[in-house]
Amino acid sequence: MSPVCLIARDEWRALLRNRAGLLASGLLVLLVLVASFTSLERRAAIEADRERYQASVDEQFDQQPDRHPHRMVHYGQFVFRPIAPLAFFDTGVDSYTGNTIFLEGHRQNSANFAEARQSSLLMRFGQLTPAFVLQTLAPLLLIFLGFASISRERERGTLRLMAAQGVAARQVMLGKLLAHGVIALIIGLPAFLVLSGFAATGAAGWATVLPMIAGYAAWLLLWAVLSVVVSGLFHRSRDALAILIGVWMVGVILLPRVLPVMAEQRTQLDTNIETEIALHRKLADIGDSHDPEDPYFNDFREQVLDEYGVESIEDLPVQYAGLVSIEGERLTTGIYADSAARSSARENAQNALVHDFSIISPLIAIRQLSMTLAGSDLASHYDFLQQTEAFRYNFVQRLNRMQAELIPGIGGEDPRISAEYWQEIPRFHYQAPSPFSRPSDLIWPAAVLLGWLVALSALAAWASNRLERNLR
Amino acid sequence: MTQGAADRAIELVGVQHSYGAAPVLRGLDLMVRRGEIYALLGGNGAGKSTTLSALLGFIAPSEGSVRVCGIDPVADPGGARAQMAYVPENVSLYDHLTARENIAYFLALAGNDADASVIEPALTAVGLASQAWDRRMSGFSKGMRQKVVIALALARDVPVLLLDEPTSGLDPRAVLEFNSLLDTARERQVAVLMVTHDLVSAVDIADRIGFLTAGRIEEEQQAGEGVRFDLNSLHDRYAGAGQVA
Repeated sequence: MSPVCLIARDEWRALLRNRAGLLASGLLVLLVLVASFTSLERRAAIEADRERYQASVDEQFDQQPDRHPHRMVHYGQFVFRPIAPLAFFDTGVDSYTGNTIFLEGHRQNSANFAEARQSSLLMRFGQLTPAFVLQTLAPLLLIFLGFASISRERERGTLRLMAAQGVAARQVMLGKLLAHGVIALIIGLPAFLVLSGFAATGAAGWATVLPMIAGYAAWLLLWAVLSVVVSGLFHRSRDALAILIGVWMVGVILLPRVLPVMAEQRTQLDTNIETEIALHRKLADIGDSHDPEDPYFNDFREQVLDEYGVESIEDLPVQYAGLVSIEGERLTTGIYADSAARSSARENAQNALVHDFSIISPLIAIRQLSMTLAGSDLASHYDFLQQTEAFRYNFVQRLNRMQAELIPGIGGEDPRISAEYWQEIPRFHYQAPSPFSRPSDLIWPAAVLLGWLVALSALAAWASNRLERNLR
Repeated sequence: MTQGAADRAIELVGVQHSYGAAPVLRGLDLMVRRGEIYALLGGNGAGKSTTLSALLGFIAPSEGSVRVCGIDPVADPGGARAQMAYVPENVSLYDHLTARENIAYFLALAGNDADASVIEPALTAVGLASQAWDRRMSGFSKGMRQKVVIALALARDVPVLLLDEPTSGLDPRAVLEFNSLLDTARERQVAVLMVTHDLVSAVDIADRIGFLTAGRIEEEQQAGEGVRFDLNSLHDRYAGAGQVA
């Protein structure tokens, strides 16, 4: 057996005979399994609730009596976003963005009922998901297992003794890297098995599961390599531990929390109240359809009369108020869309800044990769909002057209159309986008993780040369 | 004892080495023949450990030449180290392994056979009780640990033995046992270079004693046929060598 394999085998033997290390590793594995189980249960419960509520609101919508279509525009529809299959593994921003939207005429509502707003304070610190365990806690365990891998050899004199047996420092480094790399993958194995099981049952595609496994494997390897390399760079184990804990605190705890604040300072978003005020001003600027002197709607009326070749709105074959509703909806939707696009652009600018810094905090990279593949990232949330908005617009305009086209034939003080019309209105069906439709959200994080591994490998080579020189 | 080049297991000629601006070895000449035990004495900072590092190829001297069984340890560290067994000072080995496993591990790293027929005679030779062979070393005393390291060196079965303060931590009885091991090594034509502060042990076992002062051998004494060293005069000499230039 080569010295590299012998050194790796002895490292595994040391771990197996180290009760504290075994206990900590066992606890982490247990935590991954518990997190997987509870996340799956939570996802199943939320999905069951979503289906029940969606069926209930759809039924209530269908059961609405004969009505004026504009009443139905305001009655609106509730739509619920289905949770992506892999969101059990990484809930991403889902817990904070909300998955329910009330769709109605004249306005674009935001998503509501975010879990974080309804749950205990504890959940705001992060749900216990497999992703949280792998992203935050697993690096700590890998540090704990690897911080003394080389420095302790130096402290107890065995490094010199190994060198005296003809073992090169490079072989010591490779042996330790092999040992701790395999340990890192074993620590990730329960989560990888859960993901593979999910794919094997068809609940998620291998195309998303395999990159997810590869991403987390790279993340865990990164910490294993970092621990061994830092151990090789410092003479005392306690110095290596202090540095590694510092890197963990800055990279995993501090930067991912400070960077969004920095981004917020640099590109500020309007508050809800500011947004509402700005929207109301713009809506007011369009004009008042009830004001006979309003220039915009006077022009609109003239266009309609020209189009239909009539002299007055009473001669129109369609209800003029319905046409005004259609036009009003078109205009207000444009204003809401502009506002949403501006807000989205600012949020994207904030995210871009944060993601640029993933070069120094690879947690941001693995988090982005994981959320994108799990379908729980911000882009998926925006996609949901865009699909619901497109649906809302068509839904409202369909009712407005009903008003314009059907009401003139009914007449009377309280004109109503048949309830059968509501039942013909299509329901919202969310089509989740493929994570591969946004390649930059996957390629950049993957490049950052690989870049870290390459840089750490170069550092490992340098550290082993330094180790060789310092054997004296 | 013959004087031919093939007899010279260890040879340092005009070796110079500095740590930064501080010179440690200043033209060191030292030769140890096969079947000879050489005790290198010197005060702190005299360059004893640096001499061992030069032989092991851990440092590259700025001047001079180093040969171990004719091999340059800087040019071919693997080849040179295959000729040497080294007993460092204060090595604690692995607490999670037994004495037997520790020796087997290091023998395997050196590419040697690591079976019981090699390990057990070595452990027996150093006088470690057989009940301790399969116990984890976490409960071993310093002397027991030292015996295991020496057993490892013996099990390597190589022509050169480098010992850094080998009797440190050994009780008087263990020192006697150790000396008898060195006698056996000498009979097997092993060249032994022993760096030590232990003048009494050196006087008991060494064929030659060299006083290292400020990076060079200032004086060498050789035991005559049936004549050992004069401990009193050596003690006076040794106390003087402790004054580092």
